[in-house]
Amino acid sequence: MKGWRPPAPFLLLLPAIVVLAAVVIIPLILSLYSSFTPFRLTQPASLYTFVGFRNYARILTDLEFWTAFGRTVLLLTVALNVEMLLGLGLAMLVEKATSGQRLLRTIMMFPMMFSPILVGFQFKFMFNDNIGLVNNALQSLGLTDQAIPWLIDGTLAFTAILVAEIWSSTSVFAILILAGLLAMPKEPIEAARVDGCTPWQTFRYVTWPFIMPFAYIAMTIRSLDVARAYDIVKIMTDGGPAKRTELLWTLVSRTAYADARMGLANAMAYVAILLSILFTVYFFRKLAAARTQIAAEW
Amino acid sequence: MNENTKARLNGLLLSAAHKIGLFLAMTVICLPGLWIVLASFRPTVEIMAKPPVWIPEDLSFDAYVAMFSGVGQGGIPVIEYFRNSLIISVTSTAIALAIGMAGGYAFARFRFKAKSSIFLGLMLTRTVPGIALSLPLFFVYSKLGIIDTHFGLIMAYVALNVPFTIWLIDGFFRQVPKDLAEAAQIDGCTRWQAFWQVEFPLAGPGIASAGIFAFLTSWNEFALASQLTRSVNSKTLPVGLLDYTAEFTIDWRGMCALAVIMIIPALVLTFIVQKHLVSGLTSGAVKG
Amino acid sequence: MATVSLEKLVKRYGAVEVVHGIDLDVADREFIALVGPSGCGKSTTLRMIAGLEPISGGNLRIGGKIVNDLPPRARNLAMVFQSYALYPHMTVRENMGFSLKIAGQKPEEIAPRVEEAAKTLDLTHLLDRRPSQLSGGQRQRVAMGRAIVRQPEVFLFDEPLSNLDAKLRTQMRVEIKKLHAKVQSTVIYVTHDQVEAMTLADRIVIMRDGHIEQVGTPEDVFQRPNSKFVAGFIGSPPMNLKDAEIADGHVVFSNGDRLPLPSRFRDRVTAGQKVTFGLRPDDLYPAGHGIHSGEDADVYRHDLRVILTEPLGNETLVFSDFGGAEWVGRMLNPRRLAPGEALPFCFDLSQAHLFDGETGKTLRG
Ligand SMILES: Nc1ncnc2c1ncn2[C@@H]1O[C@H](COP(=O)(O)OP(=O)(O)OP(=O)(O)O)[C@@H](O)[C@H]1O
Ligand SMILES: [Mg+2]
Repeated sequence: MKGWRPPAPFLLLLPAIVVLAAVVIIPLILSLYSSFTPFRLTQPASLYTFVGFRNYARILTDLEFWTAFGRTVLLLTVALNVEMLLGLGLAMLVEKATSGQRLLRTIMMFPMMFSPILVGFQFKFMFNDNIGLVNNALQSLGLTDQAIPWLIDGTLAFTAILVAEIWSSTSVFAILILAGLLAMPKEPIEAARVDGCTPWQTFRYVTWPFIMPFAYIAMTIRSLDVARAYDIVKIMTDGGPAKRTELLWTLVSRTAYADARMGLANAMAYVAILLSILFTVYFFRKLAAARTQIAAEW
Repeated sequence: MNENTKARLNGLLLSAAHKIGLFLAMTVICLPGLWIVLASFRPTVEIMAKPPVWIPEDLSFDAYVAMFSGVGQGGIPVIEYFRNSLIISVTSTAIALAIGMAGGYAFARFRFKAKSSIFLGLMLTRTVPGIALSLPLFFVYSKLGIIDTHFGLIMAYVALNVPFTIWLIDGFFRQVPKDLAEAAQIDGCTRWQAFWQVEFPLAGPGIASAGIFAFLTSWNEFALASQLTRSVNSKTLPVGLLDYTAEFTIDWRGMCALAVIMIIPALVLTFIVQKHLVSGLTSGAVKG
Repeated sequence: MATVSLEKLVKRYGAVEVVHGIDLDVADREFIALVGPSGCGKSTTLRMIAGLEPISGGNLRIGGKIVNDLPPRARNLAMVFQSYALYPHMTVRENMGFSLKIAGQKPEEIAPRVEEAAKTLDLTHLLDRRPSQLSGGQRQRVAMGRAIVRQPEVFLFDEPLSNLDAKLRTQMRVEIKKLHAKVQSTVIYVTHDQVEAMTLADRIVIMRDGHIEQVGTPEDVFQRPNSKFVAGFIGSPPMNLKDAEIADGHVVFSNGDRLPLPSRFRDRVTAGQKVTFGLRPDDLYPAGHGIHSGEDADVYRHDLRVILTEPLGNETLVFSDFGGAEWVGRMLNPRRLAPGEALPFCFDLSQAHLFDGETGKTLRG
């Protein structure tokens, strides 16, 4: 006996676990702890005062927080669904193209290469009420003679953020769904056409059931980093004007860095993390089910 | 006869609609990027002109010249930023790939207890929003004194990329039939040799596409970088973009030029591996 | 009435023409088999009929009506694919009822038709399974069932049996024959298995490189091939086809061996003409081990040396040397033969074929 030898998978996973523990888990535990303190960056000693659930209690009754929370959920729901629909449409358009597939696919991936912060600046530039492309175009076309205050009016700003977010992330859906369309066997589609299906019915009954898991994959991948939207919002409006586009993440960062109330911010962050986890676990479940179905049947 | 003409007309209309739709979609995708490229070549007065100047009259490289002309002369330390970005992205991608390969191989080839829970657990670490992570990370890093160092950001990015890398690579190794490695072992390879000689080359394209994703994530990341960097020692390009913003004004032209500099490496890299990217993603993610 | 007519039907992929203006009239309720070597355009032709491939030129009529540009759903036909093309995410029942559901029929109308088709094909116990849980033969039957349920005017089959093992194939062949007798639809059946074509079809269409070589009943194409190609393609083992030259009333082979020129070809050839001489293995047999089809005078006897034998049980294929080439003969009531053994052979020249050496066309009247 040479003593206990750890099993191979454990050894293989060890580096991943160590890194994630060091960079994610330990800091998170720390922040969990600090969310039970009134910790302020300016007063290091406050880290050692324990206040129990006071931060959480404050969040629960904080209207500002719940507005941001609701707005975040709304943004994610609308964005993910629209991205999914547009991605589906885009993938089908590209798949049907008879020539120039390579070029089309590369263009399709174009927005994925843009840093979210860049997307933020880009759309801030385009939606600028004075010099932005959007207003310039509208005015030159004679559709309006005033400068529309895209980033100043609350609803318009939310729309502008939504547009930026959708522009930057539709690619992920399009690419995965396109991959699904390409992997799909052609015969069932032909059989459906001979069986009397209109193009819409062919899509509805044959194509869609096949590419659904791909849509779930895209949803899962996207839900892994929905918080990328933070960068976009941070640049475009930074939660303004007057907190009318405040999202969970901008609120957290403002509370932490501008107001320096780390403890409270960490408590908020925990709620944001929980939200992310819920989204992800939900799609993971769906994905796993859809995936086993595809593996078993197609 | 009539029916045929109608059917043909229908087909023609459909294909015309398809072409128009495709064209519109591509325009919407390309326009913001092209607008930025264009703006980087135009003088500020033209960008700011009212009524707008649609047809550029005065294109020049002034913005780029200014950018490189050094701090103090309207430039920013772009070479340092670029160097930081490159070092941090490449190193963290390499490390994330190595760790991801080990982890992905474990998930693809071994059975062990609580496998799917461990997998989900790893994935969930990725869902932690950068901003939520940056608060405690900032605190830990300041205690350790690794704020504003390459090392600090590299570690953070490795952690950010490992889960997704494992996911993709796991899928790729599953694609490679087990028999192949076994055949290689019967042919006299050790398990280690079998991995490098047989399984690794076959999963290669997939690993490359995982690498692209990791690289793009690191190259483009902002939320963490903005908190964990301070100076030209470690500031990356996304953070550098902020140099062009002042309290109430933004130097659009300069920013557009920097944006172009930022996009080019990502564009080149994606172009090189684009062939494997789509197929890689699917087989990796779906068939897993 | 579901006649199908191809009029100068052309298919081009870009600049490459793969089907060169073929003409074919299929009568109502006829069973037509399309055969030909791989890549000759059988599937392409079938897919043009189905509406899955756009037609590049000519006309296609179904029931007299031109349907060139109509989508498949407007043509009222059913197709069985080589890979079956079942819908993987539907049960057998849903697969079979799908076309009716699409056509807007009510579930209570669909159910009996599916049940009936399932009974015909012996699928009743499998109705609630998914295709992935079926064997190859069962999947094939489901694919057929899906076609029958529709009660279309035209059935199209693209090598439906080629993925099955030999035994199952024979069995399914019989099923298809019974089915055709029962449903009385027009059938166009693509295959590269000539046994299927011979046993199933009313008429066989032999294609080659995008052209139709010959159309005829199985008997026609077997006994009266129009060309060397058809002669060599139909029949197994294939006909002996040997190049020769006509000289003073004989067919002379490369090494000088000669056979008398059958009288029916006498005024169709000239001395010195290059020809290809064809004789089926059935018409070349060791004396006493075969059947004369014509008169005794037409049988030419000659001693041949055996090179190799392939015993098949009830008969033996005998390879022997004549005219500087290898000929296959068929020995009924076989006895053991030793390689190298020489024995008298009968050439039944009443069944011989003669083709032009250049064009490959038959020289028969
Ligand atoms: N999409 C295409 N583009 C170009 N050429 C094609 C295409 N599809 C088929 N062909 C060509 O058309 C010819 C006819 O093909 P087809 O599939 O009809 O052959 P087939 O007779 O069915 O052969 P098999 O017995 O192997 O199925 C082939 O030479 C093939 O290479
Ligand atoms: Mg074919």
